[in-house]
Amino acid sequence: MSMVPSDDIILEGIGLKKHFGGGGLLSSPTVVRAVDGVSLGIRRGETFSVVGESGCGKSTLGRLLLRLIEATEGDVRYEGRSIVKLGKGELRGLRRELQIIFQDPFASLNPRMNVGDIIAEPIWLHNLAKGREKRERVADLMRTVGLLPTHADRYPHEFSGGQRQRIGIARALAGDPKLIVGDEPVSALDVSIQAQIINLLEDLKDRFGLTLVIVAHDLAVIRHMSDRVAVMYLGEIVELSDTDSLFDNPLHPYTQALLAAIPIPSPTNRQPKALLQGDVPSPAAPPSGCRFHTRCPHARAVCKEQHPALETATDGRQVACHFWREIQGAGAGSISAPPSPALARRLALYRTWRERQDKPVATSA
Amino acid sequence: MGHEAARHSTAQVHASGNAARAAEPPLLAVQGLSVRFDGAPRGVNVVDDVSFSVSKGKTLCIVGESGCGKSVTSLALMGLLPTPPARIVAGSARFDGRDLLTLTERERADLRGDRMAMIFQEPMTSLNPAFTIGDQIAEGIARHRKVSKAEAMERALDMLKKVRIPAPEKRLRAYPHEMSGGMRQRVMIAMALANDPQLLIADEPTTALDVTIQAQILTLIRRLQEETGTAMILITHDLGVVAEVADEVAVMYAGRVVESGPVDAIFEDPQHPYTIGLMGSVPSLGRRQGRLATIRGTVPPAELMPKGCRFTPRCPFSDSHCANDPPPLAEIKPGHQARCWYAPLELHRGAA
Repeated sequence: MSMVPSDDIILEGIGLKKHFGGGGLLSSPTVVRAVDGVSLGIRRGETFSVVGESGCGKSTLGRLLLRLIEATEGDVRYEGRSIVKLGKGELRGLRRELQIIFQDPFASLNPRMNVGDIIAEPIWLHNLAKGREKRERVADLMRTVGLLPTHADRYPHEFSGGQRQRIGIARALAGDPKLIVGDEPVSALDVSIQAQIINLLEDLKDRFGLTLVIVAHDLAVIRHMSDRVAVMYLGEIVELSDTDSLFDNPLHPYTQALLAAIPIPSPTNRQPKALLQGDVPSPAAPPSGCRFHTRCPHARAVCKEQHPALETATDGRQVACHFWREIQGAGAGSISAPPSPALARRLALYRTWRERQDKPVATSA
Repeated sequence: MGHEAARHSTAQVHASGNAARAAEPPLLAVQGLSVRFDGAPRGVNVVDDVSFSVSKGKTLCIVGESGCGKSVTSLALMGLLPTPPARIVAGSARFDGRDLLTLTERERADLRGDRMAMIFQEPMTSLNPAFTIGDQIAEGIARHRKVSKAEAMERALDMLKKVRIPAPEKRLRAYPHEMSGGMRQRVMIAMALANDPQLLIADEPTTALDVTIQAQILTLIRRLQEETGTAMILITHDLGVVAEVADEVAVMYAGRVVESGPVDAIFEDPQHPYTIGLMGSVPSLGRRQGRLATIRGTVPPAELMPKGCRFTPRCPFSDSHCANDPPPLAEIKPGHQARCWYAPLELHRGAA
C-alpha cells in the first residue's frame, strides 16, 4: 500500500461523544453511550478502518465524522477547520467533499428515481454541470464503476445487489469527493461480488486520490484494504495501529480475541481456540473500569476499578489496557494459512485466464 | 440431457466412496434431486440433479452464494417447500431406510422436529415473540413424546443447560426479545435438539452473529454433535466456517453441485473454476497478496441460463463445448468429484 505522511491529517475527531436518549420528557430515561470519548486522526490518502462487533459504536462514529448526526460532545476538524458549528449552507458545500456509502444498497437508493437521476442529483445540487454536460458526466461515472451508461433510465429494482452498490458508489463519486466513509460497504454482498466491489473501491481510491474510512466487522476485508485500523469496544477505541502490526501482534486482549475467533479457511489447521465468553454488555450500562474486564481472560482487580487510557505503545501504536506489556504475544500466532500448492497453482492459472476474459470488454470488475 | 452420464458417475463414486469410509449405509442419501418452480423456463430447475449423502456423526457443508439452491435443497428435504410453486420433479432422498420424498404429509410432520430438525439463519423470526422460551421448546417435545407438561418443561430446562445458557431457570420464563442474538440462536439449537434428532439441518446458523459469538455457537454445535452423534448438514457461504466444521463439502452453483468431496480435498486440491474463483475472492488474513481474484458478472437469470455448464458465462476457461453440453459430475480422486470438462485445469488449460 502507498506510503502516507503521518502528519497530514485530513479529518480529525477530538473527544467525540454521542449519547442517545435521556434528554427530554418523552425520550427513554436510559442513556446509551454509543460513542464515548473517541479521538483519532485520519491521514490524507490512507484507508483507515474502524472494526468492532455490533453495538460497539463504529457506525455512529462514521456518521459523527461526517456530521450526519450531531455529537453530544467533542469536535470534528476537516482540513484543520472545525465543522461542528458550520451553518447549513457551508455544510452543504462540505458534503461534496465528504461522502458516504451505505451497507444496504437496497435501502439507500430511492426506488422512484432512475439511476441516471440518482447519480445526477449531487451534480445538480452542487451546480457542477447542466444539460448535456451533466448527462455525459453521469455516463462517465457509470462507466467508472463498471455499469453500462445505457442503463441510466432503469430503476434500482432492476439491478442486482452488487450493481446497486456500484450505483451508490457512483453517486458518492459524483461530487468529486476527497474522503469517502464506507459503512459496511460489502457486508451485504455475496463473496464473489464482494471481491469485485473491494477491487473497485481500491481502483477508485488510486485514480481519484481519495481517502477511505471503512467501517466494518469483517477482519479479513479490513486486513486486505486498510493501512491503519482502530478497534472499538463499547463506544471506545481500545487499540489503534497500522494494519500489519495489528494482525501480526495484537496488543489488546479484545483484539486478540477477535482475531482468534475468525474461522480459518484451512481444514488442516483446525485447533481448539481460546474463546471469549459471554455477550457484549449493554452500552446503556457499560462496566466500570476497563469496559472489557467482564469478558477479558487477563482481567485483574485493578481492571474493574481503573479505566485504562489509550496510551502510546511501540511504533506509534495506541492501546488501552493496563497490562498490554505483559500479555502481548498472547494472541499472536498463525491466524492465516497459506493456500495449498495446488490451489496456488490453479489460482495463478485462473488469474491469467481471467485477465484474458476481461480484455474484450473493458470493465473494472 | 446428459443427466444419464451424470447420474452414472455419481452412483459409482458413492458406492466406492462409502465402501472405503464405512460399511453401514449413510443416514441420508440424496440422489438426483431436482426441484422446479412453476413458471420457470423449460429445463431450468432451481435445483438440478443434486446428489449427496451424510453419515451418522458427520457434517456435510453445502457452500454457495445466494440463489444457488442450497436453501431450497434443505427445505425440500424437510418437506417445507410450498407446492405450488415448487415441485420436486425427480430424485430420491433415503433417510434411515425410507424415501422422504414419497412420504405423506402426516408422516413428514412426524419426522420433522423429531428425527430431523432444522435451525434457521435469523433466530428472531423463527421464534414466536408471544410465548416464553420454555413454552416453545416444550411444545416440540410434547408434539412427539407422550409426556406431561411438567416433564416437557423439565426437558426444556435440560436442553437450555445443554446449550450452556447462563441462568437457565430464569431464561425458561423469558421472551425472545429479552435475549441477545447469540442467546436466541442457542435457544433455536436447544429446540432443534430437544428430541435427539438423527439429522440436523442448519441454514446459515451463524451468519447474523458477530464473529466472537459465531465462534461460540460453532464450538457448541460441534460439542453437541460429539455428544449425541447427530449427523449435520450445514449450509453456509463462509469458506472459513466450512474449513472449521465440515467432513464433506458440496459446492453448489446455480442449482447444481459443481464440486464435492472430503473437506481436505476441496481446500487442498480444488478443481472446479467456481470453487477456485470463490477461494480467490476471499481476502486472506495473512499479509496482503495483491488484488483479489474475482468472478466476472453475476449468476444469470433463469431465462438466460446456458444449456450446458451453468457457470459458462462467468468462467474464464469456458468455450462453446461448455455452453452446449452439461459436464458430468466426474470423479477426480475417490470421493472427490467436479462438474467441469477441463478438470484438472493445468492439464487442459495449462498452456496459457
